[in-house]
Amino acid sequence: MQDIVILALNGLAWGLIIALIALGLSVIFGLLDVINVAHGDFFMVGTVLAWVAVDVTGSFAIALVLVPLFGLLLGAVTERIAIRPVLSTIVLTVVSTHGLGLMLQEGVRATFGATPRRLLAPVGGTVTLPGGVLYDTYRLVAAGAAALALLAFFAFQQRTRFGTWMRAVRHDRETAMTLGIPVQRVQLMTFSIGAGLALLGGVIAAPITTVDFRAGIEILPTCFMAVIIGGLGNLPGTAAAAVLLAVTEGVVSAVLDPSAARIVSLCLMSAVLFLRPHGLFAGARA
Amino acid sequence: MSALSVNRALTLLLLIALVAAPPLLGWMEVDFWLVVLTEILIWGLLASSANLLFGQVGLLSFGQALYFGFGMYGVAIGIDRFGLGLWPAMGLGIAASLGMAAVAGLVAVRLTWHYFAIITVVFSLIFYFLALRLKPITGGDDGLSFAAPPILDWGSLRLTLGDDATQYWFVLLIVVLAFALQARLRASALGRAFAAVREGERKASLLGIDVLRVRWIAFVIAGGLAGLAGALFALFGRYASATHMYYTVSGEAVVWTVLGGAGTLLGPAIGAALLILVREELSTVWEHYPLIVGALTIAVVVFAPKGIAGGWNLMLARVLGR
Repeated sequence: MQDIVILALNGLAWGLIIALIALGLSVIFGLLDVINVAHGDFFMVGTVLAWVAVDVTGSFAIALVLVPLFGLLLGAVTERIAIRPVLSTIVLTVVSTHGLGLMLQEGVRATFGATPRRLLAPVGGTVTLPGGVLYDTYRLVAAGAAALALLAFFAFQQRTRFGTWMRAVRHDRETAMTLGIPVQRVQLMTFSIGAGLALLGGVIAAPITTVDFRAGIEILPTCFMAVIIGGLGNLPGTAAAAVLLAVTEGVVSAVLDPSAARIVSLCLMSAVLFLRPHGLFAGARA
Repeated sequence: MSALSVNRALTLLLLIALVAAPPLLGWMEVDFWLVVLTEILIWGLLASSANLLFGQVGLLSFGQALYFGFGMYGVAIGIDRFGLGLWPAMGLGIAASLGMAAVAGLVAVRLTWHYFAIITVVFSLIFYFLALRLKPITGGDDGLSFAAPPILDWGSLRLTLGDDATQYWFVLLIVVLAFALQARLRASALGRAFAAVREGERKASLLGIDVLRVRWIAFVIAGGLAGLAGALFALFGRYASATHMYYTVSGEAVVWTVLGGAGTLLGPAIGAALLILVREELSTVWEHYPLIVGALTIAVVVFAPKGIAGGWNLMLARVLGR
């Protein structure tokens, strides 16, 4: 029983982090129609930069602030170089982001090295939860931080002018343009925010995963699953699906093993794609 | 002279050069390129299967590695477990990939672009994880190694893959046949139906084309081509492994296709050849050559969105004044 609780909690923490990354993917997809194949690598760069920042400055807090800011910059540069020129033929963005992913992976391998590393959690130790379950403190902190970031993003989108612009462009690009919304700038900023979310996810996840240049290709399918099950472009749906998926996978891996759990969630995803192509939560669109 | 005849003449020259490659490379004392060339042919065939779906029917598949994997395991399991000869094992591999594509296609072709791309990845991931798990059958992570049976064994006439030149000609023969088949397909009524579906689903259905059926046929043929490439790859490496079923392999097929020129017959193979040659040339010089491959990929997409073959055709049309 205790094992199941711990696995479900692990799933929750990991699911909230995945939600953050998948949200970035979904924001980019919903607004630009771009399937960003390099998104997993953005996450990976986040974990690596977190490791480097902690190594250099000794402070996790600095990493938590600086790395997502770098992510915004990385996203903006990417949009200008690899997305905007090919936006008219949308499928080409899959290819250009694939090329970008290759560069990011190899860039990290060339500088950071090919050996996976671990980052020590900034808050160690365990806490006793009700029911006498001992649990990692940092995982709870990570879950909280990811949840907070999700809420902050939704608040940003609902409450600020820029967030309203984002919703408007996603809803109807042409009308938004005639209303004088700077669509190109919104697109740039959206890609930038999407990348920032992925790098932020990377920083939060770094202490509970391995820091490795291959981490991106491993995490990308899970993020896509969350986006699909939640409904393409449906942001709250994506976040909910990520948590649902990770908790299910966590509990199933307790009974079977991780790759069986992955097969279960992939089958779930094909069923969703076929039966409810607009996602499990269609109708709850924000 | 029309653009078509220029391209035909060039294709013929290319074919002659490919057939003559073993003695030529031997004479230049760079025999090692023969193995690279064999690999290029196989990957070019895989890319052409992605191209059939994307370039001709307008469906972006990110799951061709699945059918590639079925062809690969069909050969490996046929030879290693059932003790089949080379040709029956290849038959098994292709039949397995055709069967898988026929079943997966029933579901996949009902969806279009984003959804289609994603369901093809999902299917291929399911079987990738299954292949990892079913260690007794597939060898899991370690893969399956086997000794390749002879291509031909008629008394004194015995051809084996052990000889690099024989192996090359064997692969070349099959790949050329597969491309010839695709060329025929393009000119056929079915090929025109593919184009009609790509250009406008609704218009095509008003013309009396059964869109779902046409898509399904294309999906199965593409699965068979990918399976053939996988079968050849298993024979080439005497090895099958789940790593070649991961979605990154499907992604490469799409990248080669777009780089070479989606929709053209030889574009995908040209794209595969270019990137593999770059890899072979640069990997000896600089360990981190994927940085250049990535940059090159972005550059081609930005500056030559129609790919190499597409760009060539545009240039040809301009030079010939049309």
